[in-house]
Amino acid sequence: MNIAYKTTIALMLSPQEKKDKIIRSTDIDALSCRYSSNRLSYFFPADPYTEILVQSYQKNLQYCQGYTGLSSGRLLRSSFGEKKFPLINRGTYFRTKAIDLIVDQFLKEFPSGQIVSLGGGSDTRAFRILHKYKHVSYFEIDFPESVKIKHLAILQSEELKNIIEYEGDDKVEINNKQEFENFQPCLHTPRYHLVSYDLRNLAHGSKDFVEQLQTFNPGLPTLLLSECVLCYMNPEENIGCLKYFKDICIDYLSVVIYEPISLGDTFGATMARNLSERGINLLTFNEFPDLKSKLKFLHDICGFQTVRLTDLSSIAGYGRRSEPHKESWVDVQEIYRINHIELIDEVEEIRLLLQHYCFCFAEWSPAQNQKHLVGIDRWNWLESLN
Amino acid sequence: MDLDTDVPMEDVEEHQTKLKVTNPKASTSTNNSNTNGRNTLSSNVHDENAIGSINQLDEWIDKLSKCEPLSEADVKKLCDMAIEVLQFEENVQPVHVPVTICGDVHGQFHDLIELFKIGGPCPDTNYLFMGDYVDRGYYSVETVSYLVCMKVRYPNRITILRGNHESRQITQVYGFYDECLRKYGSAAVWKLFTDLFDYFPITALVDNKVFCLHGGLSPMIETIDQVRELNRIQEVPHEGPMCDLLWSDPDDRGGWGISPRGAGFTFGQDISEQFNHTNDLSLIARAHQLVMEGFSWSHQESVVTIFSAPNYCYRCGNQAAIMEVDEQHNRQFLQYDPSVRPGEPTVTRKTPDYFL
Repeated sequence: MNIAYKTTIALMLSPQEKKDKIIRSTDIDALSCRYSSNRLSYFFPADPYTEILVQSYQKNLQYCQGYTGLSSGRLLRSSFGEKKFPLINRGTYFRTKAIDLIVDQFLKEFPSGQIVSLGGGSDTRAFRILHKYKHVSYFEIDFPESVKIKHLAILQSEELKNIIEYEGDDKVEINNKQEFENFQPCLHTPRYHLVSYDLRNLAHGSKDFVEQLQTFNPGLPTLLLSECVLCYMNPEENIGCLKYFKDICIDYLSVVIYEPISLGDTFGATMARNLSERGINLLTFNEFPDLKSKLKFLHDICGFQTVRLTDLSSIAGYGRRSEPHKESWVDVQEIYRINHIELIDEVEEIRLLLQHYCFCFAEWSPAQNQKHLVGIDRWNWLESLN
Repeated sequence: MDLDTDVPMEDVEEHQTKLKVTNPKASTSTNNSNTNGRNTLSSNVHDENAIGSINQLDEWIDKLSKCEPLSEADVKKLCDMAIEVLQFEENVQPVHVPVTICGDVHGQFHDLIELFKIGGPCPDTNYLFMGDYVDRGYYSVETVSYLVCMKVRYPNRITILRGNHESRQITQVYGFYDECLRKYGSAAVWKLFTDLFDYFPITALVDNKVFCLHGGLSPMIETIDQVRELNRIQEVPHEGPMCDLLWSDPDDRGGWGISPRGAGFTFGQDISEQFNHTNDLSLIARAHQLVMEGFSWSHQESVVTIFSAPNYCYRCGNQAAIMEVDEQHNRQFLQYDPSVRPGEPTVTRKTPDYFL
């Protein structure tokens, strides 16, 4: 069998594999946005870890399913080489900042709480949080390949190993697809767990999944994060996933969901069309098109007791109220700082884009418990239900 | 009388005369002694040079209408010719009715061709464009080359104002600079065009009644005469009256406000009404802001916003519009959707960025 033929076979993916490859590639989008915002100093202090994740992709993406040296190089060049528009940098900043604010508030009120990040891919929040808070446990769950990329990034960096308190000093060099395939994805330290799992299976009765989280303690307050992750699952898988965590947590569970909504308008329709041209289908986009339907979903269907909702436009101060700075979650000096990094040429466009991203907070605790994140109403919300 | 050829001939002839006045070396004619001023319209300049220029321009327009960019050498020639036309236009360029007024185009070349289908071909229809030809869309080079060609070919039929994107600084952030690098391999064409942008007029006045500009009003400008006094031949400044005219927006709040864009101001209905009253205007027509229907009234019809880039940035799902003003000053809006782009391969088109 000649080499060219072998390569062709390796690249043949089933339709489902192709779809999953595209979903995994959205992590490169998110990472490239964070990389761009960070390079322009949107984040203060700067994020020192993004670069390490970028390097891991540069080394290892070629070994992932459906990629060759050429195709991975092309994708990485276009993702990290091309300039991002200022509204993308700014939106990335607000998205990151808003979740950071909630995480900080959660750990302030529940210092021994634990955080579970769904499909976080190459996100660096785990490292920032573990570095800042010495008592938190952090769990990250994603597709095997995405987990391997992150695992390899950690092994390459003494800094990251220190942060997650990794004891080993093994040096792993991946040199071909076979080695990548054989590489063990999961990584466990006392406070950090990187777990490879297809979250869609939670809807199909995989009750013992929690065992893979090892030190996960159902009796501790838990914060679940979904940054553009649940949106790639269908409604049943959404319910299955959220209910699974509600069922295993016996003390307190809150969840932050950030994802696109269609609002049933032409911008939303254009978004769906553009993304489907790339092979991305947003499976709850039209089912739960606005904040009101998200509220119903989280409260009526999933059974969360407290629900708060807003959109990224309002968080960023682009809502239509007369005093935008009072509405924004970010204080005036900080807004002033980021407004002066790059000129925004079109305010209506950024408002439109950010309006199509909802930001949901929901919590649940057993009746005898009645725990709440009391600081949640420090920020402005557009919809709320207690 | 065949208007189609006569009117444009006259246009280019006038341009050729100007060329002689300001740049004698460029002229091949030696028998033109009547060079006393810019309004000279010599009748004996039907020389080969003029005909040659028309042919050249028509060739370029043909090429560009297929969305093929000109060579760097031709862009150089075109920009030289355009400077000779534009430097004599006024800060407040007078325009006559009937005219069709258009807003932002932003490199959406196929939608610009659609615009000319909807509004009627130039020079049969007179056009006034209120800036923002480049950045954001994928065909800024072709779009601005085409409009500048039309301007040189039919100088009395089309007016092209300067928008805030016709600037060295903004084009380096929003795409035109990178597009020039990609299409020409160097920044030379970007330099030629951004140098040319300095000559674009910044406002126009339609029959002394409709004041047209890209952005909006400035707290430092009360009368149109004050606009006439500005020195516009420069890069768009970061602040001051010229910056404001290209950056400001009308707002529901009265008075002057800080602009969320970081340049220019917001102005309320009181400001617009005062300005229209002081200058005996019926309307301020401006572009600069995405409006989902393509046009939008504000300040009780003292200001209209016109936006001519449908599905702006291939992402916004908005309609576009242009505004026709007829001889009796009646206004009519024509709305349109994105062109179907039969010639454009959609597979190679990059998906616009979202947060994923």
